[in-house]
Amino acid sequence: MNKVSRWLPAAIPAAVIAAAALGVPAFGSAAGARLPEKSADEVLALIAGSSATRFSGTVEQSSDLGLPELPKSARGYSSGADSTSAVLELLTADHTAQVFVDGAERERVQVLDDLAERDLYRNGSDVWIYDSKQRAAHHVVLPEGSGAAPQLSATPAELAEKLLAAVDPTTEVDVATGSVAGRPVYELVLTPKSDDTLVGSVTVSVDSDTGLPLEVAVTARGQSTDAVRVGFTSIDFSAPPADTFTFTPSADTRVTEEELPSGPPEGYAAPDLPSPTVTGAGWDTVVALPVDVLGSAGSSSALLAQLTTPVAEGRALQTSLVSVLFTADGRLLAGAVPVEALEAAAR
Amino acid sequence: MSRAEPVAAPPARAFALLGSELSVLFRRRRTWAMLAALALVPILVGIAVRIRSSSNGPAFLAAISDNGLFVSFTGLTVSIPLFLPLTIGVVAGDTIAGEASLGTLRYLLVAPTGRVRLLLVKYAGAAVFALAAPLVVLLAGVGIGALLFPIGPVTLLSGNTVGIDGFAVRALLLAAYVAVSLLGLSAIGLFVSTLTTVPVGAMAATIVLAAAAQILDTLPQLDWLHPWLFSHYWFGFADLLRDPIAWDSFGQNALLQLGYIAFFGGLAYGRFATKDILS
Repeated sequence: MNKVSRWLPAAIPAAVIAAAALGVPAFGSAAGARLPEKSADEVLALIAGSSATRFSGTVEQSSDLGLPELPKSARGYSSGADSTSAVLELLTADHTAQVFVDGAERERVQVLDDLAERDLYRNGSDVWIYDSKQRAAHHVVLPEGSGAAPQLSATPAELAEKLLAAVDPTTEVDVATGSVAGRPVYELVLTPKSDDTLVGSVTVSVDSDTGLPLEVAVTARGQSTDAVRVGFTSIDFSAPPADTFTFTPSADTRVTEEELPSGPPEGYAAPDLPSPTVTGAGWDTVVALPVDVLGSAGSSSALLAQLTTPVAEGRALQTSLVSVLFTADGRLLAGAVPVEALEAAAR
Repeated sequence: MSRAEPVAAPPARAFALLGSELSVLFRRRRTWAMLAALALVPILVGIAVRIRSSSNGPAFLAAISDNGLFVSFTGLTVSIPLFLPLTIGVVAGDTIAGEASLGTLRYLLVAPTGRVRLLLVKYAGAAVFALAAPLVVLLAGVGIGALLFPIGPVTLLSGNTVGIDGFAVRALLLAAYVAVSLLGLSAIGLFVSTLTTVPVGAMAATIVLAAAAQILDTLPQLDWLHPWLFSHYWFGFADLLRDPIAWDSFGQNALLQLGYIAFFGGLAYGRFATKDILS
């Protein structure tokens, strides 16, 4: 055997792995090429007439908002309950969930954390929310015949509805084709007509067969990767097993029975909540709230100081999609616009 | 060189070789010391929680005082980053280099076993240890947990409970998951072991690689690299404690480890097939 051929057993797996790694994405994008053309209206009708009432799949959410990424704490170790780091984790880290749906009244969302899990069970009128880190469960009994259930995290269908409701003369709508979770999809691409917003485009991927929205992705202007993406990575349209939706708390779980507010949801708003001032329209909307963040947090909030940068009007938090301005005179301004636009609105 | 290839020896001989390899491995005092050290991890965890319970710490720790069976899960969580790779590094790093340093490698090759067969048998020995190590941690955890705490139906991460029999099935699956997770590192150890005649060097190199892979896995700037690191799915064993079980990580992990076995096994073959055996 010569010097070269003895390395073949190592070279072959390396070549196969490299071919698989480079070849798989190319294969996936070719799958959506053979769909018949559809207009934006037809794609919307496809969503509205979605026939998928039972499915199970894996949903992945990833964010790249231009915030500083923090190294993961040692895995498997809980660092106590720290709400600010939990919020940061939500904004910078990726999340995976398994979603099971069987009809309108049976749902299950399983958020897969490192060595932990958060769960939403809905079986008829029974809704359970479970957190394995706290070992605590919350139980809500929905009134008979109520439709929408409270959700732990938004499914693509829900996000798509919200976004499509916002389609108005400020937005250009195009249709493309592609592939999500191995299925051919129509991509509804919403591009703001305004030049002042940070949002580059919003893409809703709709399963060409069932009309179920499979992915929502938001890109920011001047950023090559998606700023926010929620989508299925795998999906199966067969009915999930019935025991997926049932929850029985164990003896060592703290159970809290929650009461639904009996009044209409509007009565939920606390009377002393300040009313927001809205300026601008469409994608350039700026919301101003009289909340004195700088005054109440003071200089003691190290996190606020770390995340925000000082500007003429106060302190500003700039992400690739949303800007927030805390003014020195006790207002909070936010919008999908650059900080300069917020400063102009604050003056 | 091709003449040094084995003339297809009957499979019975290969099993005899594997049997003798395993009996040498598990008769070594060093192997027993490492397994005892691994068993000590859950025992110390159990005693520590018995003395003073705490809610901050490794996963599953808070549940121990209610259910002693969780000692085994905590023990496994604590062992995975350091103790298990350490012992695998020692066993896999010793495979070829150990025989070379003792001067027994050439006697092994004088017998008509062939170098490929010897590599396979050595690797199989390391793989058996990779299965034995997490089993020891789990069994020691169950034992000390049953001794110090009440035991009962186990609450899974999803909040549902399984009985003792369900727990046993999940524990065996966990041991299998962890064993599969360590196969890639074993293959790296086998390759490193063919490079040198100093077993300590091969052991140290393997352990350092295991630590380096885990450090790289925590750096967000290298997230494109993470799915390719052999340590990336080590903590995915928790997916077996969900209801329904999330099998994705099991499959991805097995595929990744298979890639490492094929590549580093190939490298080990390329190095060992033509190596001049001087000792």
